[in-house]
Amino acid sequence: MEIMVSRSSITTTGNNTGAWRFVRPVYERHTAPCSAACPAGEDIPRIEALVSEKKFKEAGEVILMENPFPSVCGRVCFHPCETACNRAGFDDAVAVNSLERFVGDLLDTSDGSLPFEAKEKNGKRIAIIGAGPGGLSAAYFLSRLGYSCEVFESEEKPGGLLRWGIPAYRLPEQVLDREIKRIESLGVKINCSTRLDSSFIETANESFDGVFVGTGLGSPIMMNIPGEELGIGWEVFLKEVKKGTQKEFKGKAVVIGGGNAAVDVARTLVRLGASVTIAYRRRIEDMPAFGSEIEIAISEGVEILELVAPVAIVQNAEQLSIELQSMKVEGQDGQRAKVVNDGDKKKSIVADRVYSAIGADVEDEWKGAKTVSRPGNRSALYNEKIPVIYGGDLVNADKSVTSAIGSGKEAAIMFDILLAEGGSKAGDEEAVKKTTAACQVGDGQSLSFEAYIGGERRNVVEGVVKFEDINLNYFEKTALKDKNSMKADLNGFDEVESGIDEVSAIYEAVRCFNCGICTDCGICSLFCPELSVLTGNEGRRIELEYCKGCGICVCECPRAAMSLVKEAE
Amino acid sequence: MKKVIEGSHGVSEAVRLANVKVMSAYPITPQTHIVEALSEYCEEGLMDAKFINVESEHSAMAAVIGASSGGVRTFTATSSHGLALMHELLHWASGARLPIVMAEVNRALGPGWNIWMDQTDSLAQRDTGWIQLYCEDGQEVLDTTLMAFRLAETVNLPVMVVLDAFFLSHTFEVIDVPDQETVNEFLPEFKPSVCLDQDNPFAMGQMAPPPFYMEMRHNIQQAMMSVHDAYEKIEDEFDNIFGNRYGKLDAMLCEDADVVLVMAGTAASTARTVVSALRKKGVKAGLVKIRMFRPFPVAEMREALKNARMVAVVDRNCSFGVGGIFAQEIRAALSGTESRQKVAGFITGLGGRDVTPEILEEIYEAAQKMEDAPDEAIWVGLNN
Repeated sequence: MEIMVSRSSITTTGNNTGAWRFVRPVYERHTAPCSAACPAGEDIPRIEALVSEKKFKEAGEVILMENPFPSVCGRVCFHPCETACNRAGFDDAVAVNSLERFVGDLLDTSDGSLPFEAKEKNGKRIAIIGAGPGGLSAAYFLSRLGYSCEVFESEEKPGGLLRWGIPAYRLPEQVLDREIKRIESLGVKINCSTRLDSSFIETANESFDGVFVGTGLGSPIMMNIPGEELGIGWEVFLKEVKKGTQKEFKGKAVVIGGGNAAVDVARTLVRLGASVTIAYRRRIEDMPAFGSEIEIAISEGVEILELVAPVAIVQNAEQLSIELQSMKVEGQDGQRAKVVNDGDKKKSIVADRVYSAIGADVEDEWKGAKTVSRPGNRSALYNEKIPVIYGGDLVNADKSVTSAIGSGKEAAIMFDILLAEGGSKAGDEEAVKKTTAACQVGDGQSLSFEAYIGGERRNVVEGVVKFEDINLNYFEKTALKDKNSMKADLNGFDEVESGIDEVSAIYEAVRCFNCGICTDCGICSLFCPELSVLTGNEGRRIELEYCKGCGICVCECPRAAMSLVKEAE
Repeated sequence: MKKVIEGSHGVSEAVRLANVKVMSAYPITPQTHIVEALSEYCEEGLMDAKFINVESEHSAMAAVIGASSGGVRTFTATSSHGLALMHELLHWASGARLPIVMAEVNRALGPGWNIWMDQTDSLAQRDTGWIQLYCEDGQEVLDTTLMAFRLAETVNLPVMVVLDAFFLSHTFEVIDVPDQETVNEFLPEFKPSVCLDQDNPFAMGQMAPPPFYMEMRHNIQQAMMSVHDAYEKIEDEFDNIFGNRYGKLDAMLCEDADVVLVMAGTAASTARTVVSALRKKGVKAGLVKIRMFRPFPVAEMREALKNARMVAVVDRNCSFGVGGIFAQEIRAALSGTESRQKVAGFITGLGGRDVTPEILEEIYEAAQKMEDAPDEAIWVGLNN
């Protein structure tokens, strides 16, 4: 029996459903919240996408595009990226910091092979004062733009705070040396044991086309109490330990302060054999030090005495007596508690040594520098003919390694704009504002070097991917598996945190939503009712003859890498 | 090989042996065990098939329609609300002449929620163009499923294999599971009569305006009527290979019966013992088990009932405002005969309530006492 079914062999390709369209889907790069939060402006979703594909080298190269210090930052960065991570709203934030260390440590550029070609030397020379993270970053990015850089460092080795201020159990020296060597391989000349003062700027134009000042905060803040001279400054102590002149101290120590420096001093003293008490004028939860560092310090046996302010240090036979005024909380002072004297309640503790770690300030020499907190607001001061730009802790509102790196990059971009052929001082301010705005990573603090040199990140559209923009149907809840984990060893200065292995790194990278970037997952083409998502050598694109603008692809895109835009009237 | 397995797995085993290539289903009690086993067979590599997980029965039927249009042997299973949700696509499957086989486990529709045995779900789909075959026990379930593929592929219409919730789906019985070689002999590789062709592309299910639509419907009706012959031939072949046959209906002791009980499903087993017991007492009881419901075996029904004084139809379903659905169908079938037997409708055993020997005896006695069949169905075993 004949079977009657209705069928048609007329091709539907004549039906140009694209004519129905009034909105069209487009592939757009959006900024991920982690990248916007990163002071170095790293392209984090791209890095994690590459790690998940086991392309560790490529992932490292993506970091190097924006940050010369992946192994350093993978250890010491306070990772605001993880705080901003959209995945935190789903299960746990991606362990971005651990992944950075994993990628950074695998990145071998010891043969001088860098993933980018430096521009041809443009004949211009920049002097950089201070070989800390800010100055070295400025030199790194400037060299890539064709400038010849000469760094002047007062200490006998480069690294600044990274070398002298961060104890080896957090950042081993060979890790730092490796990354500095990479910067030097770009042709950067570092003059150590060469202290320059501010008078250098006045004559710098004779040999240089610009000056970057990244001297850091060289002046410890004083407590202004009687007997202060009996105490030891944190920066002096940490430097002595690094240089090996302090090897052991079995006595009792009191550390005054609540910042990272205080915690670093305390944990270092533990390793020298001391029993340590931190005295802080507010409560533990008000301490400016990273929470994780405080927890570790406590676990290593550091005692924290809160709500006490030192009023005097007195020599008491062989020992020191520290007189403390008790404090009480009375209201709020910004993020922290406001504290006042608790009547005249006092106590005193006895110790063999007292360390002062209440912070550092700009040396008088560089007091002219202004604090800046947003890109484009950094201004260049002119010394007659050449631009002088300040960076790092000297001017950053946020005193952190990664912020210093970000400021070095920003300065390099500014020099390039200011020293461009045909640039005129009058239009400088405008040109800097306009160009840096185009390179800003999302609504964040940092600039993208890739965007500046015309790379793909230039095409990022405004705004930052929000949690609601992610299509959660494509993700499964998975517990955070492995972060850099602690191994307590208080007998020396071996690194305390161990990194993650390859299996954990891939597992962790797979958890990343990859907010705002196309990972070629293919969901859009799977759902397109008109088979209008084409893939080929030129990447993903929409066949507009037939795309009727239904928007299903945009709705289904797991990671907000697509948008619908109105067709022109 | 004889195995002690539940009715659901009688279906699963048959589907495995039928070398189905694409399955799609959405779980619903009491059907779930069928597809659960099949998904495991796929996972374990016992079947070279694709199991498509979907979010609803509507999608499950759509998925097998798609796969069947692509020219492979397909299967799905559902029950109750799942079947109701498929309704639109049941029409599509038959209209597109796709030989899909589906196991349908008879379950009540809510509200109130009820997961137990009731026939209204499948009978409510009687006009969708699906062949419907009702089963009594586990072996019949396995055998019917194997035959269903042959039948569907012969006449190009979809087949529903219907089994009672729990009484059959979840009851363990001895089932003889044939070996693959023997099944292959009965059920060769599927060769589709209508399917998409990449080398000669065309679209299926296009617009059929007034000059064509009616012819297409007539064609389906003809195909449905051709099932009668096709089924007989297939069952002969099946009998030759496996030694089992079931008929379109099963008539027992009808030749000289005064009252003939008629029903479908597992209640027929209970009725057999009741009829045998009545016969021992000298009561001339008879029994017809309905096996094929679509197409309706009019000729066989007339033949089986021709000597009966009274026909008592036991419906585990109700078409509200008329009564039992099997009773209606039988009345319609007998209306064209000279003798026009009287048909009394009885409704019982809804929503999983047991149809006990006592209930059937009560029905039998009531029918025996009747001179004329009442217009309205009699509800048996009500608690109020």
